[in-house]
Amino acid sequence: MSGALLAVNALNVLVGTFRLHDVSFTMGGDEYLTVIGPTGCGKTLLLESLAGLRRVASGSVFFLGWELTRTPPEKRRFGYSCQDGLLYPFATVEENILFGARAQGLENDPAVRKRMGELVERMGIGGLLERRPGFLSGGEKQRVSLARAILTAPKLLLLDEPLSALDPCTRAEIRGLLRDLHSEGGMGVIHVTHDFSEALELGDSMAVMNAGRMERTGPSMDVFLKPETLFAARFLGGENIVKGMARWLSGEMWFDVGGGPVLGPLSGSLPEGAGSALIRAAHLRLSAGRGSASCPPNSWEAVVSDIVIGSARVDIYCQGGGRWQVGVSFSEWRSLGLSTGAPVTISVFPEDVHLLRD
Amino acid sequence: MGRRGGTVFQWAIGLIFGFTALAVVLILSTLLFHPDWGRFVSLARDPEFRFAVLFSLGTTAVATAAAVLTGIPAAYFLARFDFPGKVAVASALELPIMLPPLVSGIALLIFFGPVLGGVLAKADWDIVFTYRGVIAAQWFVAVPFGIKVFRQAFETVDLRLENLARTLGYTPAKVFFRVTLRLTRRSLLGGATMVWARTLGEFGAVAMLAGITRMKTETLPAAIFLNISLGDVDFAIAAAVVMLLMAFALLMMLKVFMPGEHGQ
Repeated sequence: MSGALLAVNALNVLVGTFRLHDVSFTMGGDEYLTVIGPTGCGKTLLLESLAGLRRVASGSVFFLGWELTRTPPEKRRFGYSCQDGLLYPFATVEENILFGARAQGLENDPAVRKRMGELVERMGIGGLLERRPGFLSGGEKQRVSLARAILTAPKLLLLDEPLSALDPCTRAEIRGLLRDLHSEGGMGVIHVTHDFSEALELGDSMAVMNAGRMERTGPSMDVFLKPETLFAARFLGGENIVKGMARWLSGEMWFDVGGGPVLGPLSGSLPEGAGSALIRAAHLRLSAGRGSASCPPNSWEAVVSDIVIGSARVDIYCQGGGRWQVGVSFSEWRSLGLSTGAPVTISVFPEDVHLLRD
Repeated sequence: MGRRGGTVFQWAIGLIFGFTALAVVLILSTLLFHPDWGRFVSLARDPEFRFAVLFSLGTTAVATAAAVLTGIPAAYFLARFDFPGKVAVASALELPIMLPPLVSGIALLIFFGPVLGGVLAKADWDIVFTYRGVIAAQWFVAVPFGIKVFRQAFETVDLRLENLARTLGYTPAKVFFRVTLRLTRRSLLGGATMVWARTLGEFGAVAMLAGITRMKTETLPAAIFLNISLGDVDFAIAAAVVMLLMAFALLMMLKVFMPGEHGQ
């Protein structure tokens, strides 16, 4: 536990009929952890429990080695920012930013005033200090909310879907702001979201939640590429989740997609029998024509059924041994010269095939 | 009606509204047109009349303050905490709203008489047939109104604002005083106005507990009752007009304070 900013052990929280089940994780001092999952999976409840706003049934929370499991929220001194930049309607922007400092008797502390000046300038809200929340845009409210949360330099910042109520343009601005604030160091962040692209962009690490349990935790890219469970793969936008049979052959694991390719040898393992596997669209390789693949077990023939041009890549849908989504760059798409109905050969490296638990 | 013409239904409810409004205004306006205004002016110097006005204002002010000071914490407790039997307790607290004031008065009379009377007498703090009884009865019938309105006000508060304050370093007591009360200020003032109006008009429970003794426990409603029974109609009407004006002023205050009560 030494060196960890936060260590959560087998946390159980009961609210009505909903329960957080044995949630455990640790995070380092400067880590940016995103907690991702569908609506109602317990993300906000976890954040509230960490903030001390919910009674813990069992388990423990350690912060910098000190147990805080039953410490009231006002003594934890974590930064906290809610969805839609919740501000006090009876107070001006300046009073809102100083609201926490006031509780600690630091409202007129020169160091706090200096930091507030720096923060409002950096966040572009210096001209709004005398305004009431009702006269602010969503992005401005969120900036004020963030300034209030970090004014007293907390070591841990808890963010509850801070971008979900914003338009795409403002969301991008606040994402940049969050990256900047975190890059200064000295502050860990736990950011709850249901948007995996936001989680990938911002988080060093990611935790996937489902029905009150943590399904998967780890470095963000690792979790994204190897979700390990069927739920996590689906929630993280897994493009090609295929059903098949897992088999051991000569001490190696293979995955046979019924009526489609045989994939392997694979690094992961599943109990022999029916199972699922994930292949990211970006990990499938495409070549025009038939039979050009050099590695027969991990390649198969198909026909282009649809082409969807997106803002960042082109998705080519192919039919053959199942339906496959292949993501290629614009230049690759142009060089392939494909159109609907064209024969293609699809291939994949075995290390890019990830077996999934149910 | 929004559109020209209108349906039979719209005409029907329009007519009913017109009849109801006319009936209420006509009945109340008779109070203003009936009195002998010369007598009305001389009554302003009448000791009994002045006593009734000042006694009503004094007792209702104390009863309202007591109802606000007890009703707000009780309402906050009901709005924020769950406990076994909460529905039954909340219903019991609202019971005096439903009961005829005379029934409340009998309960008060038994409580402060046979039950607590001996103890209170030893402490030289009699409630029955004293001004304290007037205040106790006014408080008893008004505090349930207060609890109901205050509770509704607390239940409209976004709990995240209170939780956020906790994370910013505020204790539960500071959250209550610096966040919740500030967020509900207008509704609470409106509720307090309703409580005051209820205490001002209370007669049955006050009469049962404190009696109707001239120049001793004589509130404005008691003065109206006493003088109409003795045949001094002008006095009774003058007192009624004063109450009407007070009620109107309180209603205006309510419209100012209560969110959504501004009307058109």
